[in-house]
Amino acid sequence: MIGNLRAPRVRRLDTGRRSRLTPPQAVVLGAIVVLTIFPIYWMVVSSLKTNFELLSGSHVSLLPNLAGLQLQNYVLMWQRIDLAIYVRNSLIICIAATLIAVALASLSGFGLAYFRFRGAGAYSLAVTATQLLPGILFLLPIFLIFRQVQLATGLQIVDTHQGLVLLYVAFFMPLSIWILRGYFAGIPRELVEAALVDGSTMLGAFRRIVLPLAVPGLVATATYIFLTAWDELLFAVVMTSSSSTMTIPVGIRSYIGQQAGHYDLLMAAATAVCVPPALMFLFFQRHVVSGLTAGAVK
Amino acid sequence: MIAQDNKPETTSALDAIAPSPIAGEGVSGGARRARVQLLPYALVAPAAIFLLCVHFIPMAAGLYMSLLRLNQGHLLEFLGAPFVGVQNFVYILFDPISPIRGQFLDAARNTVIYTILVNGLALALGLGAALLISRDFRGRGMVRTLLLLPWVVPTYVVGILWGFMWQQDSGIVNHVLRLLHIPWQPFWLLGPLTMVAIVIPTAWRNFPQMMLLLSAGLAGIPADLYEAAEVDGAKPWQRLRYITLPMLRPIMAVVLLFGIIATVYSFNVVFTMFGRGVGYPGEWGDVLTTMIYRNSFQQLNFGVGAAASALLMFVCIAMVAVWYRTFREDLRAR
Repeated sequence: MIGNLRAPRVRRLDTGRRSRLTPPQAVVLGAIVVLTIFPIYWMVVSSLKTNFELLSGSHVSLLPNLAGLQLQNYVLMWQRIDLAIYVRNSLIICIAATLIAVALASLSGFGLAYFRFRGAGAYSLAVTATQLLPGILFLLPIFLIFRQVQLATGLQIVDTHQGLVLLYVAFFMPLSIWILRGYFAGIPRELVEAALVDGSTMLGAFRRIVLPLAVPGLVATATYIFLTAWDELLFAVVMTSSSSTMTIPVGIRSYIGQQAGHYDLLMAAATAVCVPPALMFLFFQRHVVSGLTAGAVK
Repeated sequence: MIAQDNKPETTSALDAIAPSPIAGEGVSGGARRARVQLLPYALVAPAAIFLLCVHFIPMAAGLYMSLLRLNQGHLLEFLGAPFVGVQNFVYILFDPISPIRGQFLDAARNTVIYTILVNGLALALGLGAALLISRDFRGRGMVRTLLLLPWVVPTYVVGILWGFMWQQDSGIVNHVLRLLHIPWQPFWLLGPLTMVAIVIPTAWRNFPQMMLLLSAGLAGIPADLYEAAEVDGAKPWQRLRYITLPMLRPIMAVVLLFGIIATVYSFNVVFTMFGRGVGYPGEWGDVLTTMIYRNSFQQLNFGVGAAASALLMFVCIAMVAVWYRTFREDLRAR
């Protein structure tokens, strides 16, 4: 389906020929930029105010209160919300899920991009079909099945890090397979053939030729998986019940349940949990842009 | 399931490689044949096992559950709970005295409205932003990075943050309205305005990805089309109408497909925006996912929840079918 949407590979001419932004267009773009970043600005500004300032109705100020910046919100949030343990859990789960999913998806993507085999079409269809399944339909069966397996084998799955890793690997694999398959398909085949002629095996060619060339695609896929896993709430709420396994969204939700209305600490925590995805995104932005667009456009 | 070698004429390692427009086939060297035939299955097997265990088997169990009276009293029996046929579906859709029916119909209506509005708004914003940043000006890279920022805000933060911004008394949205001398500071999280309160944040979070992919699509439009149009004396809006938009349709199709599925199944923004994340968001804020979560995990009525989830999947498939009808030609064209 997506494979049919190959855009012509012709670039617009060099930037010299690009039409310039006219003043009215600049105004519109400026308005879009301001509206886009304002909520983020407001989150950061609010995280530096007292809760009293935040809830004082018509006295709310658009600007930060520079004389009384509440930097201690960023200290208090670790104590009151118990954020450190949630951040640790989220990091462990998301990093493990990202690494495993990228590894398995790259094998599958390679298989689909470079081999013709019986069942490839059915497999691609199955991968695509998973995207149409509502998570909430298999949430409870998974929970109950996990519990049965746990009773039968003694393996701990429910309320553990590995249980969520298992789920996240499966959830974010289909789209990763699509992105990587598209990326691998764009790597010149002559390179692989040359390696085979030189006596390399297919796996050897995959490891030495395809993977190094696909680093931007791999990084883009990993960033996508990490950002999406960092964001997951529904399964984490059901699968984790003790604070030693709760991920950030579950932990923040339980904090809100106990202490409604503490927006100062909440905004500080909200700002803090944006930092890992933001760093990852800013660091890999170029890869993400090229990798995701290559995967989706091809 | 594992390869039976049913193509005995295959003699070379490369024959197993799918044909490609770039490369020809057929360097001979038959020694690795058996290995190559097994290799693709070995490559896809790990992912396939994950998909089977975490998607397809639980989904079959979930569909079967929708036919069971699986409530608190029968929870431990799981698939052994009493079989009641389509009774759950009747209860949700047709039973005039069931408390679920009204909630379900509201939530289904809201899910459709929410999906259409979110994707319409995100597409318009994404397209507008993509067109503007395709132009030449200083600081393009910087502007693009700023526009991508909502993407790094987790959706559960989006719900909490906007829930805070929509507050009637202390919220910044009403404060800005006050600064602009607009004498209208409504309760955003009450009544039909709830729909606005969930649509805008979701579109805000989703439009950057659309912008990114549409930018890539714009970069792929051959420049000579525009030159030819210019020679023919086409006005800028005619170029937009007759070149840019038609050329972008295939990529718009992809972007909308992902957008529709993600929005129909989205949960976090609505779930975290309302109170403590467990409350009823009102008849205009409740979507199917939150309605199902409430009925499954608070009322512990899992059979009804599973039946409603199956209906949710039908809603998604119906919207994808509308998408397919709209974009069928574009999918075939290339």
